[in-house]
Amino acid sequence: MTIPMVAGAGLSDLDFEKFREYFYKRTGIQFTAAKRYFVDRRIDACIQSSGHRNFGGWFAALRLGDRTDLLQDLINQLTVNETYFLREDYQFDSLLSEVLPRVLAGRGRPGRPAGPVKILSLPCSTGEEPYSIALRLLEEWDQIDHVDVEIHGADIDSAVLDRARLAVYGNRSLQRVPKPWLAKYFTRIDEDRYQLDGGIRDAVTLAQVNVCDTPAMRAVQDFDVIFCRNVLIYFDELSSRRAAENLYGALRAGGFLFLGHSESMSRISPIFTPVRLPEGLVYQRPTGAK
Amino acid sequence: MTMEDGTTATALVVDDAATVRLYHSSLLREAGFDVEEAANGLEAVEAALGTVFDLFVVDVNMPKMDGYACVETLRSDTVGTGAPILMVSTEDRPEDADRAYRAGANLYLVKPVSAKRLARVATMLIAKGVPE
Repeated sequence: MTIPMVAGAGLSDLDFEKFREYFYKRTGIQFTAAKRYFVDRRIDACIQSSGHRNFGGWFAALRLGDRTDLLQDLINQLTVNETYFLREDYQFDSLLSEVLPRVLAGRGRPGRPAGPVKILSLPCSTGEEPYSIALRLLEEWDQIDHVDVEIHGADIDSAVLDRARLAVYGNRSLQRVPKPWLAKYFTRIDEDRYQLDGGIRDAVTLAQVNVCDTPAMRAVQDFDVIFCRNVLIYFDELSSRRAAENLYGALRAGGFLFLGHSESMSRISPIFTPVRLPEGLVYQRPTGAK
Repeated sequence: MTMEDGTTATALVVDDAATVRLYHSSLLREAGFDVEEAANGLEAVEAALGTVFDLFVVDVNMPKMDGYACVETLRSDTVGTGAPILMVSTEDRPEDADRAYRAGANLYLVKPVSAKRLARVATMLIAKGVPE
């Protein structure tokens, strides 16, 4: 047993306020005072693994920015990553049957977008979502041999991106993957873990980005479809509006945005047009808009 | 959240993911609950043997003892709680909810659950009625 650090228990209200403001500015995630106890414990873990002796030293180093690993560790501690292959699969049905045909209908003509169809999974967590999209397109989309498709995944958390690159998954993550797909695209590496084949891994481009970081999001452009599921629900009003604007900027005119089942863009911002599809709502960046 | 006897309602949040516990616990605290946490079903059963909880919020997929087994044990003579149990999971198939109800849950919600919704549902389950 190591000697307990003083951090969490000794964190003053002023320190917590400073931390809260800093974390909000960096990530858009707001902790209210009621979350204090839980945030303290996460901060404790970060201080312990950083090698600093107390909050003051750790926080100074964090703000100084020399050690980006400190902020990354903090973000990893405080964000939620839980998913599995083919989660909320009805939205992938919608992608194949409704959204991609509409995207293709808008292409290849003069004045219309050219180049590959670009799909973004943000946040992509440990990779299940972008890889699920890749598998469903390969297995079920009749246009896959005729259309060039780029799939991108992005997340704020570097540790989950590393796991996405490695693409090793356990039974729980894979439980909804059909057996033939498992045999075709995965290699069993031990009793209950499988690795996705290199071909699919290489087909998905992974990058680190925070959806609330407007300057960083300017580099994310020209997407036809974005899946941004189950993240806006954790943001406050201001951050979710900023995220919505950044997603808008990342889409082509006429591009489509999928949100999670319990999320609603209409509550956040009026800039998207809701489109009712048989499998549920999607949000479209209006075609006439710049 | 005050109970009929004037005490503050105490909730147990059971989830193996620390960040999910953080999220659910803080929402319940904001809604006025005292909150304790457990990282798996076994820890939850242990906690419930020592403390009388007014509400349980239980994840499904956890190591050692999963959510279904946990809820069954909480409802069995071993613990015998009559408090409302809310199960929250990423699993969205109808059979997952059926299994939760058979185990003894009062309500099954698919993650993520918004702040407002969790607070309302928790209050409703405690009050056995519809909140304002």
